Amino acid sequence: MSETPLFVTPLQVQEALRGQQYIAGDEIATTLFLTMQLGKPLLCEGPAGVGKTELAKSLAHATGRTLIRLQCYEGLDETKALYEWEYAKQLLYTQLLRDKLQDTLAGTNTLAQAADRLAQEEDVFFSMRFLLQRPLLKAILNEQPTVLLIDEIDRADAEFEAFLLEVLSDFQVTVPELGTLVAVHRPIVLLTSNNTRELSEALKRRCLYLFIGYPSMDQELAVVQLKVPELASKLAQQAVDLVHRLRNFDLRKSPSISETLDWAKSLVALNARQLDRDVLENTLSVLLKHESDLQKVRRRLDVTEKGPRLEKDHRPSRWRNEGDSP
Amino acid sequence: MNEQMIRFISALRAGGVRVSLAESADAFLAVKMLGVQERESFRLSLRATLVKEASSLPAFDALFPLFFDSGEQPMQDATQDLSPEEAQMLAQSLRQFGDQLRQLLEKLLRGEQLSRQELDLLAQMTGLHRSRELQDRNRYTQRMLRALDFPEVQQATRRLMQLLAQMGMNKQRIHQLQQLIQANQKALQEQVSHYAGQRIAEAMGESPPDAPPLDELLDRPFSALSDQEMALLRKEVHRLANRLRSRIALRQKHAKSGQLDAKATIRANLKHAGVPVTLKHRDHRLKPKILVLCDISTSMRFCSELMLSLVYALQDLVSKTHAFAFIDHLEYISPDFAGKDSNEAIAAVLQRMPPGYYSTDLGLALDQFAQQYLDTVDRRTTFILVGDGRNNDNDPALETFQKLARRSRQMIWINPEPPALWGSGDSDMLRYAPLCSNVVMAATLGELTTAVDQLLSQP
Repeated sequence: MSETPLFVTPLQVQEALRGQQYIAGDEIATTLFLTMQLGKPLLCEGPAGVGKTELAKSLAHATGRTLIRLQCYEGLDETKALYEWEYAKQLLYTQLLRDKLQDTLAGTNTLAQAADRLAQEEDVFFSMRFLLQRPLLKAILNEQPTVLLIDEIDRADAEFEAFLLEVLSDFQVTVPELGTLVAVHRPIVLLTSNNTRELSEALKRRCLYLFIGYPSMDQELAVVQLKVPELASKLAQQAVDLVHRLRNFDLRKSPSISETLDWAKSLVALNARQLDRDVLENTLSVLLKHESDLQKVRRRLDVTEKGPRLEKDHRPSRWRNEGDSP
Repeated sequence: MNEQMIRFISALRAGGVRVSLAESADAFLAVKMLGVQERESFRLSLRATLVKEASSLPAFDALFPLFFDSGEQPMQDATQDLSPEEAQMLAQSLRQFGDQLRQLLEKLLRGEQLSRQELDLLAQMTGLHRSRELQDRNRYTQRMLRALDFPEVQQATRRLMQLLAQMGMNKQRIHQLQQLIQANQKALQEQVSHYAGQRIAEAMGESPPDAPPLDELLDRPFSALSDQEMALLRKEVHRLANRLRSRIALRQKHAKSGQLDAKATIRANLKHAGVPVTLKHRDHRLKPKILVLCDISTSMRFCSELMLSLVYALQDLVSKTHAFAFIDHLEYISPDFAGKDSNEAIAAVLQRMPPGYYSTDLGLALDQFAQQYLDTVDRRTTFILVGDGRNNDNDPALETFQKLARRSRQMIWINPEPPALWGSGDSDMLRYAPLCSNVVMAATLGELTTAVDQLLSQP
């Protein structure tokens, strides 16, 4: 683990990410920098679609590391996350190698001798050849440094979390038949969570924490212009402005950056010149994924010369941007 | 700086953020890495290492400036560029005011900050040192400002300006003076507020609020809880839920039925030369579907709230939850819980359905339920009704209730009233009870937890 660090300041992290078309604020850059410096896992939380997974991908590209992704789901266990012996292959090999085994055992006089000789060959059957590497083990054994993304950890069960703790603290795994496997390079670990359930204290304690909220207007505009450069800048401005106002609404699912980008792309695809009523009617479903949200917004939407307007919503919002006036 | 950080961390802990020793060690490491020169990166390194929950971020953001900002606001000296005549006029008109007010006005004109001694004196006068809660900050700021005669300044400024105008001072100059006084006034206010916050935060860190006797609270009936105690219990619900979670999860996991797990079976039987002596099954979790119907009228509020928190904290052990609340009519409240902290969600629901003018009507709520949401009940659903069965002599809608009880897997009634009171007065409990598969009395959080535990372990 004597790699020279790639980055010396958080600013470099920011620039490297920008090179990968990821616009990171100071907060993200500084936290990532610390993650790499301290060698601790990073827990990213925030609403869906604000670019948590994307961050890991961009980081992998920016650092030239391989990205290994473990998608969590209910019922995920060690055999799917860490390793598994490939029994079918082992059985097949035993069958096919039967003759060879006869040869090996030929010339032994006693049963004990035969057993001893067989024991010498045991390694053949419990070798890396028959070990199915799942993402966690892959990240540990990879010859190249890696970025390990453990996505949506909140979907996995509490027991899996406990098991993960062990792996994340030492980056070594004990396979009873093989011994302890130690990480060649310490991976950069990113965990993401949509906060559908509370994570355990122990896990949180071991991680650094980053909350990625909805971006500020300028940031989001920059993202849209970077990713969808075809969109006219005035239209982009209007679109982002509308999205920001939608976020202050009490919706079941507020639009995130990913939705803004989809919307921007569909505006380009439809060759829209301005945000008039027709265009909005046709494309609003890209932004809002619930029928009730759609209806609510349609009722309050008012298109004027200057662009779309929204009546104010006085009900409390779920994820309100910091510093945004309602 | 190190000491200041330690004080900050203990204030965070007192403010309800859980910071472990390992985390504070991380914070020191991070600060060593990024240094303290730049305020922003210093703040971020503390934030990334100390705060691990989005809900704790506001506490961090409130406390950080109190510990690491000087709190000194730039103030301007208004008397600097006055001509001698103007200064004369100003001095003359200032004489019109009482001693204390004059001193304050002079301070504002010269742009002087309050000294540490003055602030300490004010604190003592207002009893600031007794406060241990950051939400008192505004109150104490106001008190300190009042002790400074601050509210009178507004009027005094106006009078001062009038006097100056009478003496024939340039209008533009007067306007300029007024602006400066106002700006300085604001700065002074900020300074006092900052000081108050700082003092409270320091006090919090030094002697954290008394540890509450939680065990005792667990066994206190809902009706005897104060708001403060309720707030404590709300926090406790999460811990209880975590404890319940692993227990119930394990129990659910060891279900001995379900699909054969071929891989696991081969693995387990290798020692028997591949003869399947022991069979392994795929984890077959029998997760219950839950439907909660809560009475949230004043008498039932606490019980319902804790029940809902508990159910929503255990979301991952349940395949689907539908929550309804009623007082005089029914409301579907599950959407309120989506992506929200359950405390927040319940607060929102309660705001929408305030108690008071109307009386509880379970019968109507049941009828409305049967009309609109009957499809949410099927044979896997555990129907939980939280209420006292007091119906204000309205129609109890027993038939509807029976229909629902038949449709669902089980019908459980959680009632905070002791059985002796059932049937007394306007209580229809005795008529409902025979139709339920189980009636549980839960008047304390402890009993409620036990009830939920039982409920989820026998799906």
